[in-house]
Amino acid sequence: MTPARFLETRRPVWDRLEGLVAKGRHGVGRLSEAELYALTRLYPAVAVDAARARMYGLDERTQRRINHLAIAAHGLLYRRKHAEPLKAVGRFLAWDYPRLFRRLWAYVVLATALFAVGALGAYVTVRLHPATAHVLVPRGLDMPGTGGGVSPEDVSERYRQMPQPPMASFVMANNISVAFFAFALGITGGIGTCYVLFLNALMLGAFFAHFDNHHLGYVCWSFVAGHGILEIFAILVSGAAGLRLGLSLAVPGRLVRGAALRVGAREAVLLVLGTIPMFIVAGAIEGFVTPSHVPGAAKIALGVLVWLTALGWLLLAGRERSPGAA
Amino acid sequence: MDEFDLIETPENVELRRRLAGIGSRFMAGLIDALIILLLDAALALVLLGVLWATVFDYTDLAGALGTWLYAALILVFFVIYWGYYVLAEMLTNGQSPGKRAMKIRVVKQDGGPITFLDVAIRNLLRVVDGMPGVAYAVAGLVMFFTKRTQRLGDLAAGTVVVAEEVPDYAATTDRKVAARWEREASPEALRATGLAPREYRVLLNYWARRHQFPLETSRRLLRQILQPILQRTGRAIADDDVEGLLDYADALIQKAEVAERGRGPADPGAGPLGGDAP
Repeated sequence: MTPARFLETRRPVWDRLEGLVAKGRHGVGRLSEAELYALTRLYPAVAVDAARARMYGLDERTQRRINHLAIAAHGLLYRRKHAEPLKAVGRFLAWDYPRLFRRLWAYVVLATALFAVGALGAYVTVRLHPATAHVLVPRGLDMPGTGGGVSPEDVSERYRQMPQPPMASFVMANNISVAFFAFALGITGGIGTCYVLFLNALMLGAFFAHFDNHHLGYVCWSFVAGHGILEIFAILVSGAAGLRLGLSLAVPGRLVRGAALRVGAREAVLLVLGTIPMFIVAGAIEGFVTPSHVPGAAKIALGVLVWLTALGWLLLAGRERSPGAA
Repeated sequence: MDEFDLIETPENVELRRRLAGIGSRFMAGLIDALIILLLDAALALVLLGVLWATVFDYTDLAGALGTWLYAALILVFFVIYWGYYVLAEMLTNGQSPGKRAMKIRVVKQDGGPITFLDVAIRNLLRVVDGMPGVAYAVAGLVMFFTKRTQRLGDLAAGTVVVAEEVPDYAATTDRKVAARWEREASPEALRATGLAPREYRVLLNYWARRHQFPLETSRRLLRQILQPILQRTGRAIADDDVEGLLDYADALIQKAEVAERGRGPADPGAGPLGGDAP
């Protein structure tokens, strides 16, 4: 076949497919059954034409036309049905997320270990050398004895002055942002995530040591425990997501680094997205329960209960084969 | 310069896509940033209104509603910050408003349409790509060094941003001239230039597509087309005087254009006061 003959015989086919693509551009649903069938038959032929046009060395314009046409038809045909968002979220939380969590538990342990080292280090340091607290504890929390004038009662009073609903949503937004950052910074090979985890651990450790130095440990503990346990746990899980992303780059294993990154990113982003409900629960508690006058023991009990519930969900849910999996 | 990316379809055929350049992606980002800014500004106005209402309205009901509204607004700010791109790209199959304006689109590296996961990954990683701050220096640097002009988010999600090729196959030709050589040569143009109809058409045809040929071919064709015309009109331009030849061809085409415009009724713009008729 000569190039000229090729052009002559194939042009009507291209025109036809072009018409179909134009019609289906705003949704393949607009095509009739016969047209859809024609689309599936014409696309492979035109894809081959694109290769043949290149082989014949046809002019640039014609090559571009066929190529563009094939890509447009390819885009129409190779798509996935979008699941209903609500159903997909439900399935994800009930089945896929707990399973993912159990598969990636080692990363959570790693993040926890990192965090524990930082928190303990800071705690011991500040206990032994109270003066170092200034480096890590915000100025506003200076104790009466150390030159400042704020007692824990003042802090909880400050909490109470804030209207509760905005407080809750601010805390949720802020914590989820921290989680997203911990995930995203994983792209640095995990270094950025380690930095975020470690810094937060140092501040937490120093914070408790600071209160313990002034024999106010229990006041402080019981004050934050209601929301704090689940919150820290969720931060650890998002840290694990960042580590998953980072280690896929740093230690790609048997895959090419780029491919390892793509696989790692998919698991990691799911791991961090699943922390959102935990942050919502923790934020609601921090906004509404923490500032209330509920006794400390009750707050601690609530915090532990909520955390155990989350842990139960992550460890037990989705054990049977999920209904959607083949 | 156009950069292409090859995708291999399940039919084992390689198709070429034109990648979006750093420039058009930057412009798209600027447009999207502007939209986000406007959304935030609108929200801030609502927020101010709520604060104002709670300050001056002492009824408890308004106060309580106000704090809830305030709480909701904080969440909306948050959702815009992290979710604008995710939502926009999900709903439009990879074309946020800015990308739509720049005629570019996010697609999978393997050619397929993007999924929620891809969109979530590439847009959560935006905060790192944007560093420092929202300067997108990291993204620019990474895009410069990657084969497919991908930023970190693209690399992790396995996506590329491509230029939506508009099927305008005459994109590299001078469209105004092309429209003319597809018409019959007008008597006015022929009279003004003193060319034969065939000569005129060939010249216009060449002129419309002169940038498509390799340089040497383009010059050779120009010489071949102009030689008989030069001989007849008795003008002498050396064969290797490319500038002179181009000027001469340009002058002929200008002359024809002026003559055609001077026809009057054919061109709505040329009324009795149309000053560009010769």
